[in-house]
Amino acid sequence: MARMKFYCDAERCIECNACVTACKNEHEIPWGVNRRRVVTIKDGEAGERSLSVACMHCSDAPCATVCPVDCFYTTGDGIVLHDKDICIGCGYCFYACPFGAPQFPEEAAFASRGKMDKCTFCAGGPEEDHSSDETRKYGRNRLSEGKLPLCAEMCSTKALLSGDADVISDIYRKRVINRGASAFNWGVSFDNAKIKG
Amino acid sequence: MKIQTLLLLLCMMLPQFSQADGPPKKQTYPEGLLSLNPGGELWSDIRQRGDSVLDGTSQVKGVDSGILINASGVEWANFRVNELTTYSSIALAAVFVLIFLFFLIRGKVGIEGGLSGRMVKRFTDYERIVHWTLAVVFLFLAITGLILLLGRPLLIPLFGKEVFSLLASASKESHNLVGPLFLVSLLMMLFSFVRRNIYEKGDLTWLLKGGGFIGDGHVSGGFFNMGEKTWYWIVILIGLVVSVTGLILVMPIFGQGRIIMEIVHVIHVICALALIVVSIGHMYMGSVGTEGTLEGMKTGYVDINWADAHHDRWGKECHEKDLIISAEEYDKLVGTSSVNEADGSKTT
Amino acid sequence: MIENLIDGPLWYLSLAVFSLGVLWQLAAILFASRKPDLSVARGSAGSSAIKTVFSRFLPHREMRARIGIQYIAGYLFHLGLFALLFFAAPHVLFLEENLLGFGWTPMPHWAFIVSAQAAFLGLIILWLRRLMNPATRLISTRDDHIAALLTFVVMLTGCLALLEEFTALRLLHRFTVELWLIYFPFSTLMHAFTFVPSRAFTGAWFGRRGVDA
Repeated sequence: MARMKFYCDAERCIECNACVTACKNEHEIPWGVNRRRVVTIKDGEAGERSLSVACMHCSDAPCATVCPVDCFYTTGDGIVLHDKDICIGCGYCFYACPFGAPQFPEEAAFASRGKMDKCTFCAGGPEEDHSSDETRKYGRNRLSEGKLPLCAEMCSTKALLSGDADVISDIYRKRVINRGASAFNWGVSFDNAKIKG
Repeated sequence: MKIQTLLLLLCMMLPQFSQADGPPKKQTYPEGLLSLNPGGELWSDIRQRGDSVLDGTSQVKGVDSGILINASGVEWANFRVNELTTYSSIALAAVFVLIFLFFLIRGKVGIEGGLSGRMVKRFTDYERIVHWTLAVVFLFLAITGLILLLGRPLLIPLFGKEVFSLLASASKESHNLVGPLFLVSLLMMLFSFVRRNIYEKGDLTWLLKGGGFIGDGHVSGGFFNMGEKTWYWIVILIGLVVSVTGLILVMPIFGQGRIIMEIVHVIHVICALALIVVSIGHMYMGSVGTEGTLEGMKTGYVDINWADAHHDRWGKECHEKDLIISAEEYDKLVGTSSVNEADGSKTT
Repeated sequence: MIENLIDGPLWYLSLAVFSLGVLWQLAAILFASRKPDLSVARGSAGSSAIKTVFSRFLPHREMRARIGIQYIAGYLFHLGLFALLFFAAPHVLFLEENLLGFGWTPMPHWAFIVSAQAAFLGLIILWLRRLMNPATRLISTRDDHIAALLTFVVMLTGCLALLEEFTALRLLHRFTVELWLIYFPFSTLMHAFTFVPSRAFTGAWFGRRGVDA
């Protein structure tokens, strides 16, 4: 069985936010909910890097650990999904998640946050594949059509990769090797990487 | 174990598998290099291992949206699931066992000479309304809160996820709505009882004698004894902490980040549990535990012998000021059914 | 099955019982025979009636100091309940879709919650006062307690269903509302309709006789 993963290559991500837009469009996600976001650190300084982040589908997910109604489950492909019929919108998964993946439609005083929404790895939810309920609650189910998540599929620099962890890491390993000996002196050309004196 | 798995997963996001826990901060690098290990530094920054929290920028605007990894979330989740649920269940079970043991050993604490039937006014209508309002609101919040805290390990095996989800949703929504009422009734409690709950001379003796539970005989006390005063201040102070933390949790509109929410949540739960545990003792002492106490909160009147036994200084005051009323007068004032008949016979 | 019953026949039954019952009760009051007033009119019945309707919104001067909490709680409860009944978004939507065919601008969510909190606090305090005060305890009938309990349960189930996501919770709320509607015309809950005519009648009666009411 495949184990599905997202990888984001910080050397390649150009913060175009196309993954964010593609995700919103594909799943028709309402305002204020962003299943994926691009974070830039050291913006405008030396060493600026961007990374696209969404649910990382952890093997031992803290959201699932903390959920008071136990609405999370992991599919055979290693994708962490949740059942919106069970979710009560308490927000604990948002506090527990290291990546800030869980999203809530509303955040106002006394407002019911509404049910949690997050990246499904384009794999829908517990409902029957391609049913109208599934689309309404979780968006498109591309995985069952044999397609990978749209964010990674349409990444222009192929910074964001998705798919079976083995395949992804092979691709990635090749990239690292091709970057020369800079694996431990990343971002610097081979000549300059030599430590002088 | 969990953290290690996560760590491994996170490592894969980055161009190399750095094991460094962050490079030395004030190192001078060889000419032409910004840093010896830029990848390691980046990773260290993302994992928030430095002194300050690294806040990146993101086009997605929202609380904490610029933070890539908030490691405290995992710690909080594990603390809530392991320590909080375990120790709170133990504390709740322990308090019931302790009370049962106490009941077996001490039984119902009676009054020497029994009840006289002659009564003295202890609480006004307003004070009793305040007490019971706070009690109703507190009980409701305690039950809904415990459902949310302990429901997953205790109730899901009983009801299944679907039914428990209904219960949890109902609990959460009503807990959030009723919550602020606790603060309101707490403030009413603060203002109406504060004067009589200031510690005074003699309270220390009460404490040293263990409130009369060590050894025999009752200990001297004023209108409220040392134990009651302490319970009052526990309610007010811990109650205020619970209220304020609750308001912070229920209003995520001031940009408070996840770390604040996690800390506030832990404080909220621990303080609330403390209140619940002590309140169970209070409920026992106020009803089954001691003879004649519940009367004071039900009708506002207590037996004069009860006052003499538990609050001798206040009882003495009642004797001096001649505040004691007869059983018949008490019946009439409290309005039991016999009064109707008595009144009827008078007028006809 | 239960869903169909609560959303269908029981809803129409409760609506019918409520509206017909209220009409019947009001008609009974309107057409009740009264003794002719033989006293000499010493004041205007009409102006006194109107004056009394408004003057009773405030406590009598002599009573003010003693029933402060009851007045505050009374206003908290009634204003809160009125606001959340007619201006909460889900209620406006329900009335528009199921009954009236038109709607109006609802309150923001936070105002809905605040009015619900006011109503809860008010009802709890009022009910406790009913139980704590010997005089009100004596004059309270079973009807008063059932009415308070039913109203409380309706508010509570509404509060439980706040997420508006679970059908079972919505049905529970709706079922208690239907019980409340059926009970309404035959109980003290009728004061929602009768308080104005009742005050006016008392005012007119006393006004004619020149009593300063």
